Amino acid sequence: MLRIHCPWCGTRDESEFRYRGDAGRVRPAHEAGLASFSAHVYERANPRGWHLEWWLHVAGCRQLLKVLRHTQSHEIRWVGRAEEPAPLPEDCAP
Amino acid sequence: MSAAPGRVVAGLLTAGGRAVTFRFDGRIFQGLEGDTLASALLASGERLIGRSFKYHRPRGIITAGPEEPCALVDVMTASGREPNQLATTLLLHEGLEAVSQNRWPSLAFDIRAALDRLSRFLPAGFYYKTFMSPGWAWERLYEPLIRRAAGLGVLAPVVGAHAEAAETLHEHTDVLIVGAGAAGLAAAAVLGASGLRVLLAEQDAALGGGTLLDARWQAWRERRRAGLVRVPGVRCLERTTVLGAYGHGVFAALEVLGAAERAAFGGLRERLHVIRAQRVLLATGAIERLIAFPGNDVPGVMLAGAALAYLRRYGVAVGRRPVFFINNDEAYEALFALAAAGITAAGVADVRPASHAAQRARELGVDVLCGARVTAVRGRGALRAVQVVTGEGGQREFAADCLLISGGFTPAAALATQLGSPLAWQESIAAFVPELAGAVGRVAGAARGVFGLAAAAREGALAGQAIAAELRGREVAAAAAAAAEAEDAGLPADAMATPMSPLWEVSGRGRAFVDLQNDVTSADVRLAHREGYEHVEHMKRFTTHTMATDQGRIGGLLGSAVLAEARGVPLSEVGQVKARPYVQPVPFAALAGGEVREHYKPKRRVALHDWHERAGATFVPTGLWLRPLVYARASSWEAVLGEARSVRRAVGITDVSTLGKIDVRGKDAARFLDFVYANTFSSLPIGRARYGIMLREDGMVFDDGTTSRLGPEHFLVTTTTANSTAVLEHLEFQLQANCRELDVLLTDVCDQWAQFAVAGPRARAVLSAVVGGRELSNAAFPFMAAGEATIAGVAGRLFRISFSGELAYELAVPASEAERIWLAVLEAGTPCGISPYGLDALNTLRIEKGHVTGAELNGNTSAADLGFARMLKPQGDFVGRVLSQRPALEAADRLQLVGVRPAVRTRRLRNGMQLVAPEAPTASLGYITSSTPSVELEGWVGLALLAGGRARIGTRLTGTSPLHDERLEVEIVSPHMLDPENTRVRA
Amino acid sequence: MSAPDLALAALPADILEVAAFGGAAPKLVRRGAEAWALPPLGRVSAAPAGLALAVRPERWLIVLAPQAGGTSAARWQGLLGTSCAVVELSAGLAAFFLAGAPAREVLKRGCRLDLDPGVFAQGSAAATQMAQVAVTLAALPGGLLLLTPASTARHLREWLMQVGRAFGIASVSDVTVAALSGEP
Ligand SMILES: [Zn+2]
Repeated sequence: MLRIHCPWCGTRDESEFRYRGDAGRVRPAHEAGLASFSAHVYERANPRGWHLEWWLHVAGCRQLLKVLRHTQSHEIRWVGRAEEPAPLPEDCAP
Repeated sequence: MSAAPGRVVAGLLTAGGRAVTFRFDGRIFQGLEGDTLASALLASGERLIGRSFKYHRPRGIITAGPEEPCALVDVMTASGREPNQLATTLLLHEGLEAVSQNRWPSLAFDIRAALDRLSRFLPAGFYYKTFMSPGWAWERLYEPLIRRAAGLGVLAPVVGAHAEAAETLHEHTDVLIVGAGAAGLAAAAVLGASGLRVLLAEQDAALGGGTLLDARWQAWRERRRAGLVRVPGVRCLERTTVLGAYGHGVFAALEVLGAAERAAFGGLRERLHVIRAQRVLLATGAIERLIAFPGNDVPGVMLAGAALAYLRRYGVAVGRRPVFFINNDEAYEALFALAAAGITAAGVADVRPASHAAQRARELGVDVLCGARVTAVRGRGALRAVQVVTGEGGQREFAADCLLISGGFTPAAALATQLGSPLAWQESIAAFVPELAGAVGRVAGAARGVFGLAAAAREGALAGQAIAAELRGREVAAAAAAAAEAEDAGLPADAMATPMSPLWEVSGRGRAFVDLQNDVTSADVRLAHREGYEHVEHMKRFTTHTMATDQGRIGGLLGSAVLAEARGVPLSEVGQVKARPYVQPVPFAALAGGEVREHYKPKRRVALHDWHERAGATFVPTGLWLRPLVYARASSWEAVLGEARSVRRAVGITDVSTLGKIDVRGKDAARFLDFVYANTFSSLPIGRARYGIMLREDGMVFDDGTTSRLGPEHFLVTTTTANSTAVLEHLEFQLQANCRELDVLLTDVCDQWAQFAVAGPRARAVLSAVVGGRELSNAAFPFMAAGEATIAGVAGRLFRISFSGELAYELAVPASEAERIWLAVLEAGTPCGISPYGLDALNTLRIEKGHVTGAELNGNTSAADLGFARMLKPQGDFVGRVLSQRPALEAADRLQLVGVRPAVRTRRLRNGMQLVAPEAPTASLGYITSSTPSVELEGWVGLALLAGGRARIGTRLTGTSPLHDERLEVEIVSPHMLDPENTRVRA
Repeated sequence: MSAPDLALAALPADILEVAAFGGAAPKLVRRGAEAWALPPLGRVSAAPAGLALAVRPERWLIVLAPQAGGTSAARWQGLLGTSCAVVELSAGLAAFFLAGAPAREVLKRGCRLDLDPGVFAQGSAAATQMAQVAVTLAALPGGLLLLTPASTARHLREWLMQVGRAFGIASVSDVTVAALSGEP
């Protein structure tokens, strides 16, 4: 079970959060066209390693968080606010 | 009633205990309070406890703890039969009734024991190979046969209300210590003195672990235990097994309640602790190993440490004439303890050439054969004699009633490996040893291969100090350690021990078991190797070795050793199979905790719930909500159509409070709604409502509802009941992820407002009587008007929107006023013939009108499919815009929304009915999503999703429901079957 | 009759949510301070008129003694100005007060927060889940304040009465906001 350190509420159980997908992707501008949106919605790197994710703290502050999680060890290296720049996965030690 | 011939001294846990009467296989026995079922049976001289899983061989008791593979029983309780209880941990209580397993007709005479003689036809992997073909035979022949013959306990086919409730407790601690032996107790003292919160979980009924088996440690143990009670931050949980480690410091532990607490908690039996800890200290000890030799499963063969435990803890001698087969000095403790109780060993086969302990045993006059091994045992239902080959090759036979064996000790590493610990081979103890990363915790004592109580206590104190230093600073930790050490002055010294010498298997004629619970032999492991299963995890799956409930705790490493020998590689290269949670079987009731029956999931109730109940409503769960389905004891079409007819002919009122309601405010509120809705809201005038659809980013319809503009920067969004939570989350996500520059506040006001729809030709007449301060004429308050209103004196909101297709209003008032307003409307409506209607009537009305709900908004339908294509705004960005324009979504054969009516009006439609062309009756063109008998039209009406549906309007197809063996001709019509010009809603 | 070990009472109250528009929170706190010290995130503060809880950033739940006619929202909007939204939640949230020594031990049976008095000390507030439903919790002198959506109030009350049984829970008469709004 994950324990996620919410910057607003402190460390809470995974069950208080809703996973909202890959936070490493930016929604394309709507003029970007079908191929861009197709990639945005459907294409995923599915890495074995560090993965930047959206988690919405639905049972707490209802803020959207960015979480850098290792998909194999489940280690959480960093949690930030939605607008914060995240450390790059490639800069993290395994 | 049997006497207790085996009770030879006073046991630590049973001394002074009163007599307890129990039944085993119908016979009446007596034990003592503090006994386990196993100790009480052994005290009574019982040896044969059950029959084995596969070969139905007679089996006895092998261990004295949770690692027991054989002594499993079914327990009869007031609420039913509970299989697979461990006799070695099951605490005796008055009236306990246990039944042996896997025997028929009786334990002593079991017909299927003949399987044992046929065993060369039942090798490992036999299920995979033998029953491959013919296919039909599996279901009709093999499976029923195997099910009858194999398996252990009996699962009662009908389980009534489980009277033995359980609960879940959420725990937080600085340090979780698993195991309260010498290491765990010593660590707890240091950690507690450091001011840390400590949870000490001990699976045993008493704290102490190995110190319970050594009288010299009694004073230390008592001192420690008393010391811990005084420290407020330390909690000790007895009878509590840590079941698994789940990462991020989360552990689950199962506590079996003691009798007193059980009574205080109304019969509660178990408690599942979900523990969150900053650090864990694993002081889980080590488990004595089996040796594989022919006949190592005959009742009377037991681990030497278990014999010591039965004597010390319960005062029970497991035999009068024991023989030992051992490879380490620790195992001699049983011999010395039995000797002190007046029971002298008949002989010892020690595989080593010499040892300190062997020398001490000889001094007691015991016949110790060094460099010797046991090659066979005599006796089938009970051990009678043991054959030994000496180091010089000589044969000896000892008459004996029990054979106490020890193949060394394996650190209990299950939790450590779940935490990602690597296992390092340690030659000196011939076992794998775990280690944890400091940020996770520590392993101490026998759990990391440090044997001896004094050594374990020192290790535990050091591990405690290291953790305390990390969490509380070095000085605090050092002071705490010094204080604890001062109390520890004069720890009993560990005896000088000669190193053990590994021995895994003695080959010979007859089966040598490596897994006693799943009946896996060393020969099965070799067969696995010959078949190509070289990896230990593959061998496990082929043979089922370690796959039983005990997870091979006493024999797991033996299988690895046999495989290593077969492969010709060292055991350290083979490794051991990974133990997984749970470390022991857990009743489902304990996992469910209090969330069972009516508490399985919460119920959301509308403010008017009690009124609906009094009015005789039948409720239907919708998500977590309870909604009135119909105001009748059971839903019948007669009752539903009566309610719907009242709406079409006069006026009705229904409770729509469960719709999601989201308050949207801010200077960018309109821009935000334009982004999340497919249609435009920035152009909506104040005081007006608009129907809107939301898409997902993939272009499919997500939800629909009306949104009203209450002020220049203030909107109220409504959602469907089913999606209310999901829509709020979606909006919050979009706002925070994709619209951060917008100044908008979203507030969930769902429960603040009770909302009622008043619908029917006389709705205006009814509402005019209760709404103050507003004229309700078409000019003053037209279709899709919205605004503040005083309703029966209460400040509320009024909307002229319609789901039923009739002239209708929705009124919203604070939920606390719900009943007063509802009653006021009913009273005002009495002259007009008002009646309340439920969800079923609402459904009838909306199907006639062609309005969609969850059955049509099923996640696979696009706006175009539902006939909403023109609502999509042509300019500007919105969620789902780009992908809703995918070419494939414009294909002519997409499933599109249509109406359906039976060609013969007396026939009925069904939801899920497939629509096919008469000439191709097996090729589905679509299906009926919703259907109802109609109020306004003759017969049934339905909505359907039909391939190229709009182009088929006016044609006829076949509706078929093979499940009901029904076929009928249907007309495909426009979904707007009632009042397509919308004149009624504007009336 | 002596007081029960554990007492569950309803708290009749007007409840408002005050949410700051973009960047307006500091101004709002200053403005609010004239009438009331709006607490920082994770805290509850008290004034003679009632309680204020901060469990979401830049938002406060204001718990007031009930006023006839529900004029609280308009009054507060006037007081705080247009830099915030004041949303009426008096009927949308139900308030309970659980008093007595075993309160935290009881809540462990459905609440995943660390309720140790050293961690969730007096004056703390948090939004979380309890018995599978949304609950906003605040530690006040003598007990815990629980707010839950009106639709789940009955579920929460029934659950509390059930898990509290072994601890001698009793349902007692309503408490007033005034009784709770002594400085926590
Ligand atoms: Zn949070």
